[in-house]
Amino acid sequence: MNALRPSRLRLLEPVAVLWIALIVALLVLVAVPLGKMVVISFETQETGEFTIANYLTAYGRQRYLDALRNSLLLGLYSAAISTVLAVPMAWAVSRTDMPGKTFTWVMVLAAFIMPPYLGAIGWILLAGPNAGWINQVWRWASGAEAPLVNVYTFTGLAFVIALHSFPLVFIFVKSALDLISSEMEDAANILGGGTWVTMRKVTLPLVWPSILGGFILIFLETIALFGTPAIIGIPARINVVTTQLWQFFEDPVRVEVAAAYAIPLLLITVALIAVQKLMLNRKGFVSQTGKGGERRQVKLGPWRWVLFAWCLMVGMLSVVKPLGVLLQASFSRAWGRGLSWDNLTFRNYHLLLFDHDMAPQAVWNTMWFSAASASLAIVLALLVAYIVVRRLMRFADALGFLAMAPFVIPGIVMAIGFYAAYAGPPLSLYGSALLIILAFTARFLPIAYANSQAAIRAVHPEMEEAARILGSGRLRAIRSITAPLLKTSLLGGWLIVFIVASRELSAAIFLVGPRTRTMSVLLYDLSEQGNFEVVSAFGGILLVITLVIVGIGMKLVGRDFMLRRE
Amino acid sequence: MFLIDRRQMLALAAWSAAASKAWAQAPLTPAEQALHEAAKREGEITWYSGQYSAEASEAAGRAFNARYPGVRCNVVRSTSQVAFQRLSQDQRAGVAQCDVFSSTNGGHYIQLKRQNRLMQFRPASADGVLPILRQADPDNYFQSSFLGIYLMAHNTRMVPEAEAPKSWTDILDPKWKDKLAVGHPGFSGAIGLWALQMRTMYGPDYLRRFERNKPQIGRSSIDPVTMMEAGERAVGVAVPSASTLFSMSRGNPLKLIYPTEGVIAALSPSAIIRNAPHPNAAKLFMEFTCGPALSTAVRELFNESLRPDVPPPEGSRPLDQVTMLAPSLEDAEKGVPEVREQWREIFGV
Amino acid sequence: MPRLTLSGLTKAYGKLTVVDGVNLTLEEGEFVSLLGPSGCGKTTTLRMIAGFVDPTGGTISVDGNVLSAPGAVVPPERRGMSMIFQSYAIWPNMTVEENVAFGLKLRKLPREEIRRRTAEMLEVVKLNHLAHRYPAELSGGQQQRVALARAIVVKPAVLLLDEPLSNLDANLREEMRFEIRRLHDEFRITTVYVTHDQAEAMATSDRIAVMNGGRIEQVDAPHLLYTRPRTRFVAGFVGRTNLLEARAEGGMLRIDGLALAPTTQADGPALVSLRPQAMTILDAPPTGDGPALEAMIVERTYLGEAWDYVVTPTGSALRLRASAPPLAAYEVGKAVWVEIDPRQVAVVQ
Repeated sequence: MNALRPSRLRLLEPVAVLWIALIVALLVLVAVPLGKMVVISFETQETGEFTIANYLTAYGRQRYLDALRNSLLLGLYSAAISTVLAVPMAWAVSRTDMPGKTFTWVMVLAAFIMPPYLGAIGWILLAGPNAGWINQVWRWASGAEAPLVNVYTFTGLAFVIALHSFPLVFIFVKSALDLISSEMEDAANILGGGTWVTMRKVTLPLVWPSILGGFILIFLETIALFGTPAIIGIPARINVVTTQLWQFFEDPVRVEVAAAYAIPLLLITVALIAVQKLMLNRKGFVSQTGKGGERRQVKLGPWRWVLFAWCLMVGMLSVVKPLGVLLQASFSRAWGRGLSWDNLTFRNYHLLLFDHDMAPQAVWNTMWFSAASASLAIVLALLVAYIVVRRLMRFADALGFLAMAPFVIPGIVMAIGFYAAYAGPPLSLYGSALLIILAFTARFLPIAYANSQAAIRAVHPEMEEAARILGSGRLRAIRSITAPLLKTSLLGGWLIVFIVASRELSAAIFLVGPRTRTMSVLLYDLSEQGNFEVVSAFGGILLVITLVIVGIGMKLVGRDFMLRRE
Repeated sequence: MFLIDRRQMLALAAWSAAASKAWAQAPLTPAEQALHEAAKREGEITWYSGQYSAEASEAAGRAFNARYPGVRCNVVRSTSQVAFQRLSQDQRAGVAQCDVFSSTNGGHYIQLKRQNRLMQFRPASADGVLPILRQADPDNYFQSSFLGIYLMAHNTRMVPEAEAPKSWTDILDPKWKDKLAVGHPGFSGAIGLWALQMRTMYGPDYLRRFERNKPQIGRSSIDPVTMMEAGERAVGVAVPSASTLFSMSRGNPLKLIYPTEGVIAALSPSAIIRNAPHPNAAKLFMEFTCGPALSTAVRELFNESLRPDVPPPEGSRPLDQVTMLAPSLEDAEKGVPEVREQWREIFGV
Repeated sequence: MPRLTLSGLTKAYGKLTVVDGVNLTLEEGEFVSLLGPSGCGKTTTLRMIAGFVDPTGGTISVDGNVLSAPGAVVPPERRGMSMIFQSYAIWPNMTVEENVAFGLKLRKLPREEIRRRTAEMLEVVKLNHLAHRYPAELSGGQQQRVALARAIVVKPAVLLLDEPLSNLDANLREEMRFEIRRLHDEFRITTVYVTHDQAEAMATSDRIAVMNGGRIEQVDAPHLLYTRPRTRFVAGFVGRTNLLEARAEGGMLRIDGLALAPTTQADGPALVSLRPQAMTILDAPPTGDGPALEAMIVERTYLGEAWDYVVTPTGSALRLRASAPPLAAYEVGKAVWVEIDPRQVAVVQ
């Protein structure tokens, strides 16, 4: 028998090389920055000797501890408000005959794509205690002296954050509700449960994991949020972890202390994820029972108008009002003067687009950083997901774990890790585009990964095996069979990463250099001097760009591409 | 004080357009010519600007680009503390990005000079600036590039002129509770100087009493101007005259208050960073900074002129009629971080 | 030399052995089915032949070349095989024609030849009118034909089919059974066919290998498998049967003294498979000299094409299932005679 020598051929399979490359890439993007952050939190500046002094400094003052407590409370408030806002909306859209579902959907999408710091600026214009429009109207209508609402308060801050976070809960809960068969509700109805009882005792408990997941996610996003606390929190005199971290970057830059101070964020995150796992292990939930049974709309009668009013209110508060006041400001000479012809101007836009040195560059930076990170993240995620889903290698799950890890790492912690690991020597990437692109890639890798994983799962492995048995190598099979089949959903993933990257502030603020400022950072810098007309106009430009991208996405990928949970 | 009407505004605009054109086209001095050639090879200069407002910084950048074709000015405008923070991050990361550094907090320069991070250079044009600005540093590591006047202002619709505060201590009166707005010394260099000056004049209790009136805290010293425009707060504390005048020129009902004790004058320098990636362009920029072209450009946006040959901005009280209060650079270096920390303990942010 | 040889083929996942020492040879042009219940290891065996799964023991060779051995596996694309999958795996992004031509293109054949052979193949599976359709526009049966055409057009050394009909409805399944056999008769490609459906295996195969618990229990032509099952499992899995405890005594199989059939077995207990079809129910004692016994009908079920009776021999507790033609109707409780065909009595292990 003249046996072939297949073993050597096997070793040369490109997958093995790729696997090593992926491991390296994930280490660079995820493990090294985090590891470096933990390490330097125990190091003395300059000398690098072991010390716990950073921790003593970081927790040695009441003010720093207050900031920590404020962050936790803020996270809880925002997550709770988001849940209260979103769950009825999700239930109404998914299960009932409420009118105006398209409107609700558009509002949720708009709230989702509106950068939170823009919303914050909008709300300053709306709910400033003296000059805010809402309070002006209130005083005019009621003759009262005291303001109706005050954005510069703890609840005001939490509320503004919630108004731009609730879409996450909405998406989570709605996708879960969509899976529940009406038979589940019928079974309760037949036993005598009315619509409300059924909803409270059967429907909502079934989607409890999604509600919890959304709650936890918003909590984590909130404690890692920089823009809104900086814009509203400073005038409100509320110091939180992120603004305190920013202070540690003041001269002299104390990355070590910042790292030590950021560790609790990481621990809290890990703990919360563990708690979530624990709570979900106990019961069966809807996520396990996918399809089966029809889905009918619950008839609400007059109550459907109540629910619609709720959705309308959330839409008004989260999108219509802040957007309206921002647009008004962006076309004004002086926003305080209100709507009038002699106050109308295109000057702010003209200034930014034609006379501004930094603005066009920031627009360009944002575009290409986002595009580069989206591409990098999708390619990386696709390869990892492919190896994990197809179980090509031993320890493939470790790759998947690394790719998902940034999901639970607060963006600001990530940024500090990146700063610690790559900003200084030997790589000295501070101020370079590469640093930001890498950080964005790492930060949004989980989105890309979840997307790719779902897409690859949807392609039956036999599709590829059919090509291989006919004589095509694995890479060729991926190129000519798998890739074309994944195209649409990957495009969707790319666009989502692009959009979230284009508005990212919390990580960018620590990593930008003079020539790598993004629109979000420039917006923040502009907002420092309170020139709200120009800030609003710049926000308007950012929103137009985002809308164009979203429009392209809807055209190519389908209406739901932003609001699917993958 | 007066509000500029539309006709005056147009005339002013015409004058300044003509003047800035004239200055932009004025022949280069021999010093400028020599540097221009070398700078062209470097192609650009990065300016960390914390002194002028965003608009004025951008205008200065444009004026530079127009005067020196072939050299581009990257304007990186932020508050002074943030600009210094960026510089520190650069230094910490071992990256050279900044050519010229401009901060309202003069203390930054003492620190940078002591750490040997500045380049020695005296632009020829520095001989033509106002006498008080002529020699910022005997060793010529930095040059005055900015004269900022920080005072108070009020919204005339909310507070009639007669009732407006007259002095820095007036605002401690409880009747101003919830009516004041101020910047933040963690962001604004000028606010740091102001807080330090108040502490020096009235003791450490000043800030605590000020806090009891619950002023609204912004970040930049310009923030309160916006708050007054909007009617969110009636009185702006330690606001820059330039931004306030600019706002008034747009028709906002604001009025400057020259406190009886005097105004805070930020005589702020600029300097070339020792490891500047574009040293010749940086020197050229320093020539530009002390020359008439910059003063002309920023004057249009109501910033003080640095030179006697460029008139002060419309609506500003002539400098010889006001008392100028300013901590020395050495005091600022030590005192501003102290007062900043004190501020944080008092205000919580 | 046989075309395909599996010798001692074994696959274990940790402690779980799913394929356990399978030996099988296929001559060129032979059609062999792997038949067994789910989990018996038949699909794993097929995927090892294809090269998608690496064996942990034993070898697979084609024409004497070892393709798979532990740690040394030729990848699927170098095996010159074709496979038809349970899901069809028709590529939805390609037309019918492109699907069929894919393998030929990989073989870098001249474009003209690819076109010609694709067209011929589509003719054979009667799909030429749908050549430019996309798979989503085809019915299940048509998709199955595309899969067949795509696999056969490359003239593979071995054709592998993995439960290809399990997703079709009953009528179509029967039609495709004959289609598969017709294509095999036309092209004589060596084929391994995996199925859990004995009717499919019987209709298509030259030989059937019955698998159970990772082992092959018996390999035989379909009719021999039915009439001469060698193991208890085969007897029970292929068709229905009565398993009886008998004794071999002096070259004769006996139950309760009744002589059933001659045997070569040594004296002692023996397990006997007696098919329901091997029994004939009669009103009176049979005239021939074959084995027969008196019995009573205890249950009956009418199945349309046959009666299914349960009879109990007189003086015994045995329950025997016997099959009778539709017109042979007997009431429950009736005394009858049952005649047994000794040729269909098989001793099993």
